[in-house]
Amino acid sequence: MFEQFISFLGALEEQTGLSHFWWGNLVMIAIGATMIYLAVAKRYEPLLLVGIGFSCIISNVPGSDLILPGGLFNYAYQGVALLIIPPLIFFGVGAMTDFGPMIANPKLVVLGAAAHLGIFVALIGAKALGFTISEAGAIGIIGGADGPMAIFVTMKLAPHLLPQISVAAYSYMALMPLIQPPVMKLLTSRKERLIVMKQNRQVSRLERIAFPIVIGVLVNLFFPPVAPLITMLMLGNLFKEVLVVDRLAKTAANGLMNVIIIILTVAIGSTMAADKFLTVKTVEIVVLGLIAFLFGTGSGVLGAKVMNLFLKEKINPLLGSAGIASVPIAARVAHLVALEENKENYLIYHAMGPNLAGVFGTAISGGIMLALLGVK
Amino acid sequence: MIIPDSLNGALALSFIDFFLSIVMISGIGFVLALFPLLNKLGKIDEDKLRQGHH
Repeated sequence: MFEQFISFLGALEEQTGLSHFWWGNLVMIAIGATMIYLAVAKRYEPLLLVGIGFSCIISNVPGSDLILPGGLFNYAYQGVALLIIPPLIFFGVGAMTDFGPMIANPKLVVLGAAAHLGIFVALIGAKALGFTISEAGAIGIIGGADGPMAIFVTMKLAPHLLPQISVAAYSYMALMPLIQPPVMKLLTSRKERLIVMKQNRQVSRLERIAFPIVIGVLVNLFFPPVAPLITMLMLGNLFKEVLVVDRLAKTAANGLMNVIIIILTVAIGSTMAADKFLTVKTVEIVVLGLIAFLFGTGSGVLGAKVMNLFLKEKINPLLGSAGIASVPIAARVAHLVALEENKENYLIYHAMGPNLAGVFGTAISGGIMLALLGVK
Repeated sequence: MIIPDSLNGALALSFIDFFLSIVMISGIGFVLALFPLLNKLGKIDEDKLRQGHH
């Protein structure tokens, strides 16, 4: 009777996930819990980290059907894998973004490319570490500091690296207020940080409406591989700027965006299974991502300093660091570092120009990369 | 694949991509610099747009 009971318990255990539980699952559950802690206690990207953290925890409970084909998390992942979710995020971002600062000061647009040296430093570093060139390209794009673009390019070049790359990209974006200022201060003098920018011109409604149409055409013409993202960004922005479809713009920027964020975070977290995530490659990708952010920040600042060699009216080189795409975090960091030196130097509006240009810079880099690697 | 899967390939890819990115984004900057010319076409009445939105 007792033996029967024991064998019954054994069979029961086999039915549960307990027999497949290993220390890796425990580590990943701890990582998921840490993400939720950071979101709740430190307010680091709560919109992203709560969903990713929870989904990561559940995905590391052996036996959970949610991540298997037919499971809800798996369906969420299909939205990412089929490249439906990233363009929809851009759609929402476009509907909530004012591109006025970028239109008003076009000379700062070039900083959106200058701040992307980190992409290529990480790419070369990844190749040197033995990654394939496609994997290296996907890792490099972390340096673009643009979550949806990182996901988009990764799904095209190295989909198996999605969990590591998306987690690294979003984590570093959340940590930019800690990562960027030391580099910015190291590469600038106090005198440079004190430079006050002249007020930008007013941008008319006609220019605001023309902007998404013109950019949409240019991007589809020259960068078809990344056109879905920028096209949707521009459609969202057109909804916002035409002023006659306010309802649609608000839906794109609020309700739809929230739904997409839920799907995206659940999808990313569901890919963080211990057996795939706990590898040396993950550590290498995380380190390369950090290097990419540091170099991107540095090259942006140096790019602004180079521009100052040719400009009569000098620009504050802190604006260069905002050329790294993460909107609006990078612009806010530039603003706060300038405020430390002069409490009345409000750089935020000026920094939004290169910051928004950084989105296009990342898209262009990603598009050229995909084209050179022969990926459509 | 146009670029070889080697360290040299990665260097070439990086150099070409960075250079072209600068050129392309400068092109966008140039197009944006022409935007004020649009205002010569006329002015949009924002109040009218807002009143009629759906």
